[in-house]
Amino acid sequence: MAAELLVAAAATLILVVVTAPPRVARRTLLTWGLVGLAAMTAILLAPSLDLVLLILLVLAVLQAGMVSDRDFATRLRAPVLAIALLGLGLAFERIQGPAVLQRFGAVGMVAGLVAAVGLLPYIHEFDPEESVVASPIPWIAFVGPLLAATVLSRARQLLPPEAGDAFGAMLIGLGLLNMVWGSVASWRTQNDAVAWRYSFMADWGLVLCGFGLAVADGRSAALILLLSVVFGRLPLYFWSRQALREKTPTDRPINLLVAAALAGSAPFAGFAARVLLLRGATSLYWPLALVLAAGMLLWLPGSLRLGRSMGLPRRRQAVGVGIVLAVNVFLGVYPQPLLSLAGQ
Amino acid sequence: MIEAAAAFLAWLGAGLVVLADGRRGLALGLALLTTGFAVLAWAGGQPAGAVAVAGGGLIGSVRCWRSGSAWGLMPAGSTPRLVLCVAAALVGLWVAASVTTGAAAPLRFAVLVVLGLMGSRVLASRETAIVLTSIAAFSLALAAAPGLASTSPGPAPDLIGGLIAVGVMFVPARDARDPRAQGAIKGRVGGG
Repeated sequence: MAAELLVAAAATLILVVVTAPPRVARRTLLTWGLVGLAAMTAILLAPSLDLVLLILLVLAVLQAGMVSDRDFATRLRAPVLAIALLGLGLAFERIQGPAVLQRFGAVGMVAGLVAAVGLLPYIHEFDPEESVVASPIPWIAFVGPLLAATVLSRARQLLPPEAGDAFGAMLIGLGLLNMVWGSVASWRTQNDAVAWRYSFMADWGLVLCGFGLAVADGRSAALILLLSVVFGRLPLYFWSRQALREKTPTDRPINLLVAAALAGSAPFAGFAARVLLLRGATSLYWPLALVLAAGMLLWLPGSLRLGRSMGLPRRRQAVGVGIVLAVNVFLGVYPQPLLSLAGQ
Repeated sequence: MIEAAAAFLAWLGAGLVVLADGRRGLALGLALLTTGFAVLAWAGGQPAGAVAVAGGGLIGSVRCWRSGSAWGLMPAGSTPRLVLCVAAALVGLWVAASVTTGAAAPLRFAVLVVLGLMGSRVLASRETAIVLTSIAAFSLALAAAPGLASTSPGPAPDLIGGLIAVGVMFVPARDARDPRAQGAIKGRVGGG
């Protein structure tokens, strides 16, 4: 699964650099994007979770060293908290002792992962005016997906069965919380850039539920959703930045299409992921599917707002939006090749 | 006995990093902590790892020592930090020696206490020098943590931890209030 996410991140970087608006320094964007990709490759190849944490620490320090309105210490807080929680969780899993320690370990792992990505209850401080690469967006939409796939697959191998159940339950609980909070906040918050950030959180809510279900359908749904975050929501957010600054909401057919893709309507990838997620939840515990289905309706108002905030993409950006929507439709209509590739 | 002394040294170093605001105090804390973890790595059968930890941590410590002349040990208002150090040691000792079983109790104590103390130091501080020193110490504790596993992790974590400890002290981090940083922010280059 992680390899597919790495390829998607590389494709997103190429697309975003090629279609970047003139005022964006492409060299800077490319440099930091490549640094992120190198770290992601190292995370993918690391033989143990301890090395993943050390790589994450290097990446956090490098990103915090970038020039920004927020100071160095503030930007390091969330990643360091994440690494500390993951490190303590990992240590508790390894130590011989009572079973409750291993449950504490599971809590540390889940809390650390959520803190690393920037989800509730550890939302990263967000400045709407900050450049994308220096902001928390790369954690939630570029590095985060691969990191989550790696940490969760390694953690499942470490955890004993009784702690594994608690692990899944925590993922589902946090997933529901982020799903509701993110979708309502992306609809109700005043600032459009902040609304985009909350929409990432909402998608992550579904991803956590998918991973927490621990059935094949749940994992498949999580993979499709993560891919649609990396190669869908992230580039769309990047292209919306100029319109967000100029405050030029637009109501054209393209905005409606983007809104439909963001909301997970048919035939886009989000729809297939939602169907798989509901099927997995029904097979496990049907009331959970009911809650998920009700929560999924909350995507619509926020997505319509985000679609409008895109403005009217022109020239290269219009081509970029077209590519993203086409890939999204392909994944929605025919996800099987991707799922087979990922071994799902 | 040597391992227990090394674990105590690691806690003492972490405590100094928590209690000091000046560069010299931070450097001494990092040096003590490095010595503790290097001895623990050596005792765990990782001589190459011990050398990497010692080299990385001590170079970082020298760099920190040279960048300022103040000690800043226990300035006014540092009582909560002192309480944190003592409480962390007591909880760590209880978990490592009483709650858990098996060999390597000193390593368990050192890893748990240093991860906790350095994590809280990074979260509570706004000074770049303090944060960087804490991260150097944090990386050494993370590098030591694989030693808790039943299988040998090899020297790779210690090597990477040592490299981070030295590399992080050379990071040219600027605060947002730095005039050069402000100029660049107004220019808003890169990344949209």
